[in-house]
Amino acid sequence: MLPKEIKDRLEGEIKHVEHPRELAVDVMFAIQDHYGYLSDEALAEAASMLGMTPLELDELATFYTFTFREPVGKYVIHVCDSVVCWMNGYEPVRDYLCRKLGIALGETTPDGLFTLLPVCCIGYCDRSPAMLVNRRVHGELTPEKIDAIVEKCRHKAGKEVARY
Amino acid sequence: MPKLIIDDREIEVATGTKVIEAAAQLGISIPRFCYHPALGSVGACRVCAVKVLEGPAKGIQMSCMLEAVDGMQVSTADREAVEFRRYVIEWLMMNHPHDCPVCDEGGHCLLQDMTVSGGHGLRRFPGKKRTYPDQDLGPLVQHEMNRCIHCYRCARFYQQFCGYRDLGVLGIGNRTYFGRTAGGRLESPFSGNLSDICPTGVFTDKPSRFIGRRWDYQRTPTVCIHCSLGCHAVTSVRYRQVARQEARMSAAVNGWFLCDRGRYGFFYASRADRPRQAAIKGETAGMEEALAHARSRLEALAPAAVAVIGSPRSSTEVLALTERAARLRGWRGPAFFADVGAALKVKAAVSRLEAGLAVSLGEIDQADFILIVGADPINEAPMLALALRQAAQKGAGVWVVDPRPVSLPFEFAHIPTAPKALGAVLGRLLRKSIEPAGLDGPAARFHASLPGDPASGPELPARAAELLAASRRPIIVCGTGIVAAEWVELAADAALLLRAAQKKAGLFYVLAEANAFAAGLLTQLDSTTDRVLKAAAEGDIQALVLVENDPFATFPDRRLLEQALARIELLIVLDYLDTPASRRAHVFLPTQTLYESGGIFINQEGRVQYSAAAFAGGTPVRETGGRDHPPRVYGSGLPGAAPQPAGQLVARLAGEEIPIDIRAQREYFSEQASRLAGLPDTERLPPDGLRLALRNISAERFKSMLPPVPAAESDDIEIILTERTFGTEELSTYSACLETLEDETFAGVSRQDAEALGIRDGDRIAIRTENGAVELAARVCDNMAAGAMMIPRLRRLPWQTLGKSIRRRDIRKA
Repeated sequence: MLPKEIKDRLEGEIKHVEHPRELAVDVMFAIQDHYGYLSDEALAEAASMLGMTPLELDELATFYTFTFREPVGKYVIHVCDSVVCWMNGYEPVRDYLCRKLGIALGETTPDGLFTLLPVCCIGYCDRSPAMLVNRRVHGELTPEKIDAIVEKCRHKAGKEVARY
Repeated sequence: MPKLIIDDREIEVATGTKVIEAAAQLGISIPRFCYHPALGSVGACRVCAVKVLEGPAKGIQMSCMLEAVDGMQVSTADREAVEFRRYVIEWLMMNHPHDCPVCDEGGHCLLQDMTVSGGHGLRRFPGKKRTYPDQDLGPLVQHEMNRCIHCYRCARFYQQFCGYRDLGVLGIGNRTYFGRTAGGRLESPFSGNLSDICPTGVFTDKPSRFIGRRWDYQRTPTVCIHCSLGCHAVTSVRYRQVARQEARMSAAVNGWFLCDRGRYGFFYASRADRPRQAAIKGETAGMEEALAHARSRLEALAPAAVAVIGSPRSSTEVLALTERAARLRGWRGPAFFADVGAALKVKAAVSRLEAGLAVSLGEIDQADFILIVGADPINEAPMLALALRQAAQKGAGVWVVDPRPVSLPFEFAHIPTAPKALGAVLGRLLRKSIEPAGLDGPAARFHASLPGDPASGPELPARAAELLAASRRPIIVCGTGIVAAEWVELAADAALLLRAAQKKAGLFYVLAEANAFAAGLLTQLDSTTDRVLKAAAEGDIQALVLVENDPFATFPDRRLLEQALARIELLIVLDYLDTPASRRAHVFLPTQTLYESGGIFINQEGRVQYSAAAFAGGTPVRETGGRDHPPRVYGSGLPGAAPQPAGQLVARLAGEEIPIDIRAQREYFSEQASRLAGLPDTERLPPDGLRLALRNISAERFKSMLPPVPAAESDDIEIILTERTFGTEELSTYSACLETLEDETFAGVSRQDAEALGIRDGDRIAIRTENGAVELAARVCDNMAAGAMMIPRLRRLPWQTLGKSIRRRDIRKA
């Protein structure tokens, strides 16, 4: 069950549009912001709010790169595999990330910090090879740069853990 | 009409025709995956490429997207086009698992054909193939996603054509997946068509899995007999086992598809428990011995003490010969319908279908306004729902006037109306939407007799009258299950009135069973099953002959049936089913199914169609051999081939010797019903059948009276016995694969009645009847008329004990 506060807000927004399904993506993001991903239960609940079947919403959820149907790590790294990045060294970047994090594409590190996913073109071709970390773009990647980014994430996460 | 040249041959086609269709008219089959005549063009698979030599856009074009225009010159064999198609095939095959030897599609696979004809033989791509998990989609369709070439036919058929929303396209790019969010049975009652339209083996027929290749089967064009629509099918038989049915294209009737009840309703024919031996008092006997025994016992009785009951599931040959036998011997009957009400309705429909009014199933999608009176298409005649959806997709308004919670796979308006008020609602709608000016004679008088006072009863919203007034091709669909005979007549007059108002109006009746039309032509109103059973219960009848009728499954009064069977001396049953009636028979004579005898069926619009015999009969080899090699015994004749056509047996019971050739039996048709006279031989029946020359009897027109809606004379709840897609049609209940698709038993109650009775949705309720108490789950419906209770005729529900109405105090929470 979605928390009442979120559900009320979404239902209020849905009420104001002519075709509820036009808010499908917004509703999915709102739920994902809360849970971190779209569980089967959340998908079914969102679909019923939107007057869609779970399958119809799932067709959208699985189409888009930024909606997750499985739990993901605290930091989602999307490494770009489109043509320009590939020409400028996508493969070594991908391999370096896999080695450094100890995971393959599509996997999450055992500590739950990182998920590594491919993405096809993020519009950063002029500074390729590029990747996104939680939707923030990083270009002209080198092993050193990747080290710094990953370490920064680890440091930040560690501090948060210490705080609680 | 554009004229174009394809491969140096000229053809003239209708404006708007696509090049792929124009080529088909020349006999040139351009490769295709995503294109399907029923689904239209999307240009997704790129395999129908041709080269345009002369025309608006020269070069390589997709022939399914390209409209034929005058002066166009197209080449399908141009080197560039051939090469293009070869590359497309190669990349479509990139991830294909090459598992043809274990794939059920192998042998009739479009992908195999295209690969071979495209000239792709050697794999060049060395990479890994992408793979998918499969889903369990229920008992009818087998899923094997690795074989997919992403043509989108399945999702387009399932969602756009049929309007169901639980199977679709997931993922993106190379991960694109056709399936459901989670495994589970498909909700659509048209899901079996996925096996037909999938161009490769992603969706294959589950019940016939691994039984045979296409060339192993005896394939025969047949007619579906699981409702009154008479859809066209192809039946596949292997080793004497009816194994599979597919849709057969018929522009006039079912189009390209079949419903799952029709597709999988055939299992009764090859069941292991099908009775194949004659029996006397339960002891196996030879056919001749049993016939002689039955005949001598019948001859010992006065003819008036013998009664015959047939059923509308029999072929016209069987019905006609049954009628002839009864007439020759002076036996009572035959009764084809449960009671006078049921017989009257069918007779009304049969006599009121006029040549100008009757529309076929294939014409429904041309309508711009459809009014459905007392019919529940998805449950009574599923393919009608699919045709209605196509009309609705093209903009037709669909309005349903019915007491039941009707559901259809598209947007429509439903006015829950008590059965008694159906006619008044229709009358008011006509009065409001048709201007009396311009009508003359009987039409004007009929219009004037229609109720106009809006305060006098239920009414459709004003919008319906506006739409009907503006429509040009309205169709009235009228059921015969829950409506009274008066409303059947009224529906015909309504269509006539719309004609008189210069509309191209059509009339479409839904009848209760496959051959109800023929039974309606042949039946006498004074012999119905209830009268025969009453006479038997009173001792006036000593012998009952049941011809392909199981009254335990079809007759609505179980008590009367038991009383009658307890009183009679002799019960003779002729059937191909193992029924409660055949088990109680003193003499049982096994009959042939439609697949063995062939036969003529007349559908609800009077279309005479011949279903050919698919094989010679006999016990399936699967059984004689115990799933192994059949026994090595030499002999002539087939094992288990004792059953004979029921018509022949009933004629011999009556002392006639009938020629074996079933075609000769057709001479008898004209004796019984003049409208059956002059039917051509089956070989000369056109592929789409032949609509009977329907009479235009002006004397019958505009005679329907509209009785005022009676003020509720009692507070009782009326029982509405109703069909379900699965589980109520007699023959298909013998299909094991459809069993899990049957509804749970329930009693449908309107919200208003539920509140008055203190019942909530899902509550168990106990209904007290003369025959004891019945316990059921209540289903509270918002879109249901008050004062009625909907009871599905499911086997697991003793609906035959409930009677016609129930006092409110006899319904309580269990």
